[in-house]
Amino acid sequence: MADLGETILEVRDLNKAFYGVAANDRVNFDLRAGEVHGLLGENGAGKSTLCSVLAGLYRPDSGEVRLDGQPVSLRSPHEAAEHGIGMVYQHFRLVPSLTVAENLVLGLKDQGVRLTLRAVETRVAEIAEEYGLTVHPDSYVWQLSVGEQQRVEILKQLYRGARILILDEPTAVLAPHECDKLYEVIRHMAQQGHSVVLVSHKMEEILGHTDRVTVLRLGRNAGTVDTAETTAASLATMMIGAEHLPEAGEHALRRFDDAPVVLSVKNLQVTGDRGMTAVDGASVEVRRGQIVGVAGVAGNGQREFQEAIAGLRAVKGGRVRLGERDITAASPRERSRAGLAYVPEDRLGTGLASGLTIEENLVLKSYREPPHSRFGALSPSAIATTARTLIEQFDVRGARRGMAVSLMSGGNLQKAILARELTRDHDVLLAASPTRGLDLAATAAVRAHIRAETDDGRGVLLFSEDLSEITELADVIVVMSRGRIVGSYTPETLDIAELGLLMTGAQEQTASGSTSVNGGSVSGGSAP
Amino acid sequence: MRMRVSVEPRARPALPVRLGVPVASLAAAGVVGAVVILISGASPIEAYRTMLDSSLNGWRPLTRTLVLATPLILTGLAAAVAFRMKVWNIGAEGQLYMGAIAAAGLSLALPSDTPKLLMLVAILVAGAVAGAVWAGLAALPKAYFNTNEVITTLMLNFVALYFMNYLIFGSVSFWRDPEATFPQGKIVPDAAQLPIISHRLHYGLLIALAAALALWWSLRGTTWGFELRTIGDSPAASRYAGMSVSGKILSVLALSGALAGVAGAIEVSGVLKTLDPRAIATELGFTGIVVAAVARLNPLGVVPVAVLLGAVVASGTNLQTIGIEAEIVFLLQGLIFLFVASGEFFGANRLVVSRIAAAAESP
Repeated sequence: MADLGETILEVRDLNKAFYGVAANDRVNFDLRAGEVHGLLGENGAGKSTLCSVLAGLYRPDSGEVRLDGQPVSLRSPHEAAEHGIGMVYQHFRLVPSLTVAENLVLGLKDQGVRLTLRAVETRVAEIAEEYGLTVHPDSYVWQLSVGEQQRVEILKQLYRGARILILDEPTAVLAPHECDKLYEVIRHMAQQGHSVVLVSHKMEEILGHTDRVTVLRLGRNAGTVDTAETTAASLATMMIGAEHLPEAGEHALRRFDDAPVVLSVKNLQVTGDRGMTAVDGASVEVRRGQIVGVAGVAGNGQREFQEAIAGLRAVKGGRVRLGERDITAASPRERSRAGLAYVPEDRLGTGLASGLTIEENLVLKSYREPPHSRFGALSPSAIATTARTLIEQFDVRGARRGMAVSLMSGGNLQKAILARELTRDHDVLLAASPTRGLDLAATAAVRAHIRAETDDGRGVLLFSEDLSEITELADVIVVMSRGRIVGSYTPETLDIAELGLLMTGAQEQTASGSTSVNGGSVSGGSAP
Repeated sequence: MRMRVSVEPRARPALPVRLGVPVASLAAAGVVGAVVILISGASPIEAYRTMLDSSLNGWRPLTRTLVLATPLILTGLAAAVAFRMKVWNIGAEGQLYMGAIAAAGLSLALPSDTPKLLMLVAILVAGAVAGAVWAGLAALPKAYFNTNEVITTLMLNFVALYFMNYLIFGSVSFWRDPEATFPQGKIVPDAAQLPIISHRLHYGLLIALAAALALWWSLRGTTWGFELRTIGDSPAASRYAGMSVSGKILSVLALSGALAGVAGAIEVSGVLKTLDPRAIATELGFTGIVVAAVARLNPLGVVPVAVLLGAVVASGTNLQTIGIEAEIVFLLQGLIFLFVASGEFFGANRLVVSRIAAAAESP
């Protein structure tokens, strides 16, 4: 790897607590000029807190941040930017109706009254060229793919003179070929002397694309090592501590031909948000004790498909049966009572009401039933008892009585949803990207819960963009592309190469095919 | 060195902050108000003594304040319950008029020897139903076609206002006294007049307080309130949980309208004894929005805020008797509103003044 320069950023004994829960506990961190520094840790390990302090979003309770040996105080993102620190968030901060160049100058104070965008565009084109960030300065942000929008975010920070870039799980939103492009850009930036902090959950990413790694565990330093001198196993041990790594279980081949069908979806037609057909005649069957995995690239109708099954989206055609019962027209509550548990993709906002407390969220589906309420009057003590039991049973951490759930970490949010959904009477579990963004331990816990479902004779319909998750868990793998089920495999017949082609729609692609628009989202084809 | 002032939210305001801020806000309003009074040529001390004497200092002025606060508690609750679900009912004004019209009409239509309790219950229910129906006119299209309730509720205010004016000024309607020289409403029968607690203070205050208590409990302790809070917080999560959002829009707007309608009925029954459009159209509904906002949509908080505003209004009339012009009185009232409302902001946030090292200054 490149020669590492001198230390430019130092964090000393950083402490930050939320509601008495320490998110960062005497954290130390240092960054050298021209290095790519991985920041690894489980959900709730304190990565985001550390980054938010550096980006000027949070103020530390105590501790020191030094830049070039000088102590600095970062009271706002603007001040952080003045010190040359820029952060690229997972959720982009761009105005869709403005052009790339307009987004770049947005909020800059030295612009004067009249915008001189021509000069900006020239400068942007230079920077873009220099770092291999191919974006047209005059295109509108809403026209850009997710990967391009991310490039605009990086460009924005570079344009503002950032020499330290913090990328918060940048590849979580990207398709594989876009990831490679990003790694190239990161490498470029490091070669130009910029320092990059790469926050990630992905071991291969950390091992393949960083110079050093700092691992955080439970808000504390678990160690900083040179990437070249470490292994996935040793990093994993640092991350989760003494507990040993969960092993991917041997997938026992099971036969389901005689098992009764618990969920049957026939020829479903669903319209997407922009009025286009998102699900175009998809069918799927789940039998007792079976896990059916739906693989596919995001934006191929999976979200609309699962929402239609859960009753959150109107169905234009087709049928949904839960056991013997036709639930095509049933309300979400009727479906829940009929035995459908649903773990939605969007945890905070759909799976959980972000401003409500953990207790309230844990009874979100049973608040109308005794003992939680009688004749319309809630019983706080019964709700608290249920919540305590569920929190203990599912090991939900970081919850405080009366605290809004939005302050909890992703893994614990998911455990809370599972606790609520799996302890209700149900025959079928519908789970969408259940481990997305979760750390190893939480991922293992979630997958164990899903596996346990089949032991109790329930059926699982699992949507995931993580192919390894589907191959690890599913008894039947179906592929969804452009709103259709285009392939079906058992672990015996699985042909990964073919599956990949089906997923990307390559087998259906026509001669024109660079990018194709489907179901309201742009699927990345080969770049021009 | 350069200074920078930034605003940071307080994680959870401590009790001294929550109690101290309103007091400090009132003091600040007093200081600025004193300057204004001085400029107008009067004595601030005399003015403030007059204000206190006519609003809070003593039982009689206090009853005046409470009479004025009663409809504000109800319209404050009307705004608070809808706003908690992020349904923006700006129509309490018109819903209050419709409540007043219905209550007055029913009291005149029922036999005047109707037992008092029956009569009072009947006209309060009539006020509630009229307010609820008027809000329902905006709620139905909101729930089923997702129309913007800000526009519909606001526009319905004008319809209600002109309808009320028409009943008294524009026609010889059932409500209008045909024998009076000037257009005015018929006086409602004795049975339809709310009993008096003391001086002019009527039992409507207790109804308003009971409503505040009931709403406070409903929001916390019932499945209805739980659904309302969940929908207000995360519409997607509430649909996911199986709640009926459109049904809730109907019930919440109906309740909001009913509270405003009861306020109108109580004004007719407890204060005016007749449908008097000029005395009713005093922006009680709109002021309720201010009350709810300053009380942070907390039903129990609505009560003290409404009493404070009632005191401000009560103290206004007497100020003019010591030579302070009406304009200055309105200005003082505005100052108190402004300081209390912005005091709420500083109770929830704090200002941080920081220095920036010269080296870090941008050109």
